[in-house]
Amino acid sequence: MIHFISKRLKHSLVLLLLASLVCFTLVVSAPGNVAVLIAELRGAVATPGYVEQVAEEIGLNKPLLMRYVDWLGDAVRGDFGISYRTGQDVSADLANRMSVTGTLIAGGAAIATLISLALGFLGAFWPYKLPDRVSRGLALLGASTPTFFVGALVIYGFSVTFQLLPSFGFDGPQSWILPWLTVSVLPAAVLSRVVRVGLEEAMASPFVLTAKSKGLSRTAILFRDALPNITPIFINALGTQVGLMTATAIIVEPLFAWQGLGDYFLAGVRFRDFMVVQACLLIFLTFFILVNLIVDLAVLLTDPRIRRQWS
Amino acid sequence: MKKLNPILARMSKMPKAALITIGLFVALGTFAPWLAPQDPSTQNLLEAGLGPNAAHWLGTDHLGRDTFSRLIIAANTSLVSVGSVLGIAMTIGIAMGTIAGYHRGWVDDLLMRVVDVGLSIPSLIIALAVIGIVGPGYWTMVLALALAWWPMSGRISRAVAVSIMSKPHIEALRVLGASPWRIYFNHLLPGTIGAVMVYATADAGVAALAVATLSFLGLGIQPPTPEWGQMLVDALPYLESDPRQVLLPGLALTAAVIGFNTLGESIALNRIPKPLTRRMLAARRIEVAGWAKEGIDAQ
Repeated sequence: MIHFISKRLKHSLVLLLLASLVCFTLVVSAPGNVAVLIAELRGAVATPGYVEQVAEEIGLNKPLLMRYVDWLGDAVRGDFGISYRTGQDVSADLANRMSVTGTLIAGGAAIATLISLALGFLGAFWPYKLPDRVSRGLALLGASTPTFFVGALVIYGFSVTFQLLPSFGFDGPQSWILPWLTVSVLPAAVLSRVVRVGLEEAMASPFVLTAKSKGLSRTAILFRDALPNITPIFINALGTQVGLMTATAIIVEPLFAWQGLGDYFLAGVRFRDFMVVQACLLIFLTFFILVNLIVDLAVLLTDPRIRRQWS
Repeated sequence: MKKLNPILARMSKMPKAALITIGLFVALGTFAPWLAPQDPSTQNLLEAGLGPNAAHWLGTDHLGRDTFSRLIIAANTSLVSVGSVLGIAMTIGIAMGTIAGYHRGWVDDLLMRVVDVGLSIPSLIIALAVIGIVGPGYWTMVLALALAWWPMSGRISRAVAVSIMSKPHIEALRVLGASPWRIYFNHLLPGTIGAVMVYATADAGVAALAVATLSFLGLGIQPPTPEWGQMLVDALPYLESDPRQVLLPGLALTAAVIGFNTLGESIALNRIPKPLTRRMLAARRIEVAGWAKEGIDAQ
């Protein structure tokens, strides 16, 4: 068990290093001279002399490896440099915005879990009957509707027509509901299929045959035998979906005027603010690696087969 | 014609509704310039925000442009960009996948690690990062999406290539002294392309979604070229007064994506026997029961 965890931690560290390398090379390979950009940003005329001075100041003249080590050292200490566009500290902005995106993803994941379990169980309880068809249709619809269209629809339904909930802003749980709903539709659709198919496979396995021969009811078998069996699969799929939610956040946050990481990343992309793009990318990649690590540990905890294999 | 028959036979097994939707989308996209009744970018502020009428079948948007024509032209925009994205992505993916499947060893390991990393990052984030570095534009969008998409076809074509390479006729060719070039170009590549194409059509829906999403964010197709995602974001400020202009492009896009996704699901069901059908379940149950009986008999 400890062997597995230490191996997994080492693996994650290597991945983190790779991710940082990707972020660094992406910005280094950007066309155009960064020093000119910064010189112009400071309001000065970009004379060759001044550009040279700026390049020296931000360390552009050092060899690439040195720049990478410097940048990585700063990033590890939480210093992501200064935004080219606003001149503000990127780390401070990141710290402010992280809780917003965290709220979005946590709430979205919770709602997606609830909906997908309900739909999946509905389908597995009455396989190939009406409830199963409805759940399958909803899953197809949810997986095919563009997130921005879902957002527009919930805004139109809940805040324009019925005026129940605010359509934008980040103040209080009431304003969180619509973004949560929007962000949870796609993962809920995908996960409901995972639950449905997983349950059907579990229901076809020998231990269910045993349970049936003992005279247990279908409900009891579904909840006591099949549910624990699909937990590892579900956690795995949920992890993937939580990772994908960062991408959804990029669409949902601007739609609801939330000042989160996705909104920040998008603004960075729009104005070609490399420092912001780089910092957000590194945060996203770190998040994926972290989620994967947590998923693997959670699967280890919930799946006795894997646990036995490693102990 | 003989070669077409298996394809037709397979198509007849696919869901009809999906095929009709996709056919409609492709037909609209291909013949859009001739089908659109009016010029999609002619503005007429006197007729802004009209409901459906005889001149404008689906009304007009906030600039007085004919929505029906814009929706049709948008199908063309979408079709062309999805085609180029998938074309470029598949070229890269098939090249990488077949090289990995032919060589195996460290080349395979290295390429597949790259594919793994590419697949683990959401394609929207890859595409946005590339656009953020290079700057927005039509071809940047296409290239960025292709860059985000090739790992998928790369992984599939590698799997197909490995299975082709392990077939006896390849071994026979080697024994006969066929050159690596001949094995690669005459036997490996054609077989792989055919198989990957099938999966690519299933991916088209997600690609269309990605194009629309980038356009919605203002980083894909730029106005005045009509595109569903960009039409939707254009009309969003007028959601309260004129929701039709938001609903129509959204519904058109959703319908196209549903078509492709249904097709993709049926392709996956045909090829990968993972989700069990009822008959398979019954067969498996009998098998399990037989296995249990054998176990008891043996004791």
